[in-house]
Amino acid sequence: MRFLHTSYSDIPVRAMRSDGVFFLSSMVSAITDDTPAAVGEARSYTRERVLFFSVLLLLLLLVFTAFAARLYHKQIHVLADQWFAQGEAMFKAGNIAEALRDYRNGLVYAPDNRGFQFHLAQALAAAGRSEEARSYLLNLLSETPGSGPVNLELARIAARQGNMQDALRYYHGAIFGVWDIDPIAMRWQIRRELCEYVLAHGSASQAEEEVVALAVNTPSQDLPGLLEAGKFLLRAQLWPRALNEFQLVLAAEPRNTKALAGAGTAAFRLGQYSESLQYLSRLPADQRAAPAIAEMIATSRGILAADPYLPGLSAAEKARRATRALAQAESRAAACAEMKGEPLAATPPASALEETFASRQEQRLNWRERSLEMHPERLDSAMAWVFKVEDLTASQCGPPQGEDGVLSLIEKIHSGRNP
Amino acid sequence: MRETKSRAGDPLQDETTEAPQPAGKLRLLWRFWTRRIITLPEDRFFLFLAVLIGVFSGLAVVCFRVAIELTKLSLLGSTLAPLPLRVVVVPTMGGLVVALLVLYVFPQARGSGVNQTKAAVYISDGYIPFSTVIGKFLTCALAIGSGQSLGPEDPSLQMGAGIASAIGRRLNLSQEKVRLIAPVGAAAGLAAAFNAPISSVLFVIEEVIGTWSAGVLGAIVLAAVSSVVTMRAFLGSESLFRVPPFRMAGSAELLAYVVLGIAGGAASLAFLKWIVYARPRLQAMPRWTHHFQPAVAGLLVGFIGIWLPQVMGAGYPIVDQALHGQFTWKLLLILAGLKIIATGISFLSGTPGGMFAPTLFIGAMLGGAVGSIEHHFFPSLTGTVGTFALVGMGTLFAGFLRAPITSVFMVIEVSGNYTAVLPVMISSLVAYLISRRYQKVPLFDLLARQEGLVLPSIEEQREQTPPTVEDAMEKESALTVQPSESVSEVARRAEANASSSLLLRVHPGEWWLLDRDEILRLAADSNPSSKAVHAKAKGPLPYLFPDQPLEEALRWSQDWPVLPVVSRADLGQLQGVITLATVLETFREPHTEPTASPDF
Repeated sequence: MRFLHTSYSDIPVRAMRSDGVFFLSSMVSAITDDTPAAVGEARSYTRERVLFFSVLLLLLLLVFTAFAARLYHKQIHVLADQWFAQGEAMFKAGNIAEALRDYRNGLVYAPDNRGFQFHLAQALAAAGRSEEARSYLLNLLSETPGSGPVNLELARIAARQGNMQDALRYYHGAIFGVWDIDPIAMRWQIRRELCEYVLAHGSASQAEEEVVALAVNTPSQDLPGLLEAGKFLLRAQLWPRALNEFQLVLAAEPRNTKALAGAGTAAFRLGQYSESLQYLSRLPADQRAAPAIAEMIATSRGILAADPYLPGLSAAEKARRATRALAQAESRAAACAEMKGEPLAATPPASALEETFASRQEQRLNWRERSLEMHPERLDSAMAWVFKVEDLTASQCGPPQGEDGVLSLIEKIHSGRNP
Repeated sequence: MRETKSRAGDPLQDETTEAPQPAGKLRLLWRFWTRRIITLPEDRFFLFLAVLIGVFSGLAVVCFRVAIELTKLSLLGSTLAPLPLRVVVVPTMGGLVVALLVLYVFPQARGSGVNQTKAAVYISDGYIPFSTVIGKFLTCALAIGSGQSLGPEDPSLQMGAGIASAIGRRLNLSQEKVRLIAPVGAAAGLAAAFNAPISSVLFVIEEVIGTWSAGVLGAIVLAAVSSVVTMRAFLGSESLFRVPPFRMAGSAELLAYVVLGIAGGAASLAFLKWIVYARPRLQAMPRWTHHFQPAVAGLLVGFIGIWLPQVMGAGYPIVDQALHGQFTWKLLLILAGLKIIATGISFLSGTPGGMFAPTLFIGAMLGGAVGSIEHHFFPSLTGTVGTFALVGMGTLFAGFLRAPITSVFMVIEVSGNYTAVLPVMISSLVAYLISRRYQKVPLFDLLARQEGLVLPSIEEQREQTPPTVEDAMEKESALTVQPSESVSEVARRAEANASSSLLLRVHPGEWWLLDRDEILRLAADSNPSSKAVHAKAKGPLPYLFPDQPLEEALRWSQDWPVLPVVSRADLGQLQGVITLATVLETFREPHTEPTASPDF
């Protein structure tokens, strides 16, 4: 019988269920009949039985696997959290090496946890292992390109490595990136950090751009922010904008000393000495005594006392100031010539200074105080001579000090140059 | 619910009708579907089985991985760097238990699992005892969990094959299907272990079956997909490694990966030669030593682990760290070297476990080291150290395991990153060529031969060029005859031509054979007619094309003395003829290089 050549010996005839009459009959017919149909029926029976037990086993295995996987995941989560918490504690305590070890252990159990990866990257960066930190951060960035914190960390690493192009790119990524907590404040802080970075390392144009952006993005109600922006504007030498920021603060808090100092400085740099003196003189005495402030006050006062071009002065006062300026310039020229060991009144004049001094002698009568008072149109030529002497002596004998410095500043104000 | 309609006064006439209860409905549904499934034609039933095998294998692999992790946690603790005493004692004791289990309870659990699966296909008609699955599960979970430097992928492959074999046998499949079902399960097991269905399908085809058989390919793909889906349902769908983004600036950078290929080829050779040299010697040692070999291996691995615990176990977290450029090139090189030693020790001792994970580990470390060194000399290289580590994994896979196609897809799948595909292709090819040049026999064939098995070498099969019809074809030995020609004309041409065969072309694609002697005899008759030519022809003849395998020609050559070989572009254009004698003569000629000698 052909059926004997098949491996059906394992078919248990008694393993019948209540609805197994069909199977029994098919088995009996298979045993007594070797037709292909009977063999097929026996095979069908075996397959149905195996399928039944397979499905049963599959369900059992499914339940067991679900239980085992759940147990495993639970344990893994606990371990990951434990290691991470330990790493956090170590990091906060400043124990970076231990923190790194703990973060790594945590990542073994939660390899896809972006938070863990980020903290590990931070710890690596803190340990000075910038390349390794960068690798983790780049991976995170590929998954969350708009992440503010990741961009910021990358920017800091690039800044530390002196890669300004990348630093600027990542700083901008951080500014325009996503922040979960207080995004406005975070973005402002990053702008501030960026300004600090470009002012320290960048070119003037880049610094101006970033500092202006910081000022523009500072709300007018945020007085500390305005003060901070004003300071950056001062550092970027953007005097009008800086003055504007400090004036905004002073409008709300007229006695804010930082704003007064800032506004005074900005006005001073703008050549607005009267305004500068107004701001600076409102500072408390101890702050006025600070060397930089005191110098600005002194200079401003000097200019206000010496400038013959100030509006509202009488002709007599203008002549008096011009005469005093001429005398000061003359003594500066004499001192410079003496320092160089050259005669001031050589004939014929050999140097530019001697030549200039000779022209003074020619105009001596015209530039007397009385003459200048009577002929105010001579004031310009007299002051032009003063400024020329100050320029020459500055180039030949060093920068002007005291009253000579004041005269130089007056020259700059009236020549349209930035004082 | 039972409804009873009773006719008054006649209880015998009660008519009882039953509406199916919920349990009954379920049973009916079950019966309906099972009848539909089991009555499917064998080929379709095989596909259904592939899905079932995939789900079973996926569940088994999930349990296996969980078992390894829980074993590791309970034996070595949860830290990456356990205490030194633990590092030495745990693998030693684990090795001792594993040795006893392998020697006395599960002798077939020994080895990696790939060759055992191949042996099941080619030697034991697809039979893999189910005890092997259990043995593999227990011994590998203990060995890998206790820190032996082995991986879980090859055992998963064998477990999948074992599950498939058990199901196939129980279902009384035909012999052919039972033989084919083991690779189906193997693909499912490997796919779930790697979370990489494409690579596992390719590996099984590249290394186990050796041919792209349409009959089994569908089942293998289905099993791999269903096992991966099952595994992901429990363990998540994340790829095995997280790789930093990579961008290659220019094609000139590929040269950097050629260097990595050379280094990978050299490392593969070193690893292979170390196993080739030491395995027979360890196996030849007295039997009592086999009780202690895994324990000694554990002890040695433990000693290495005191200094560098990274080399213990499968090492996936360490590979992840290397991919993120966490190690210096010196440490990477040391790790690669020590892992070769540690894996060799663990594997040679007979401890059950796989070679895939250690190969990836060594490749990642070597790749990272080469990348770091190249970066030192060429800082403008855009590929990060992590990229080199990733490419290194594929490189060593190609060089050591000699599966070049799988290596490329495996790198893509385990990293979820396509950008490294060109570097991997270049580097893998270089490593593969170097490895093949200096080690003729691939690893798995070598291991099989050392065990006294002569399994078909897939690599050798790949390199053989089977003879084609063109090789046996005689170009000038046939004379084409038109139906319009008279017998005398044909006879005249036949006498003038030395050709022995006369082929009558009735239509393009319809050729008949004429007997030369008979035509000459007819021509000698008094009144030969043109019709007589066709009347005396035999046919129609089957025709062949020059590029067809010669085996196909052999089938027809026994029935016909001469067969026409025609052009594929014009079936009426005769290109030559073949005879049984020329076919047999061609088969006798050597067409490939002789295979490697048994002494390897």
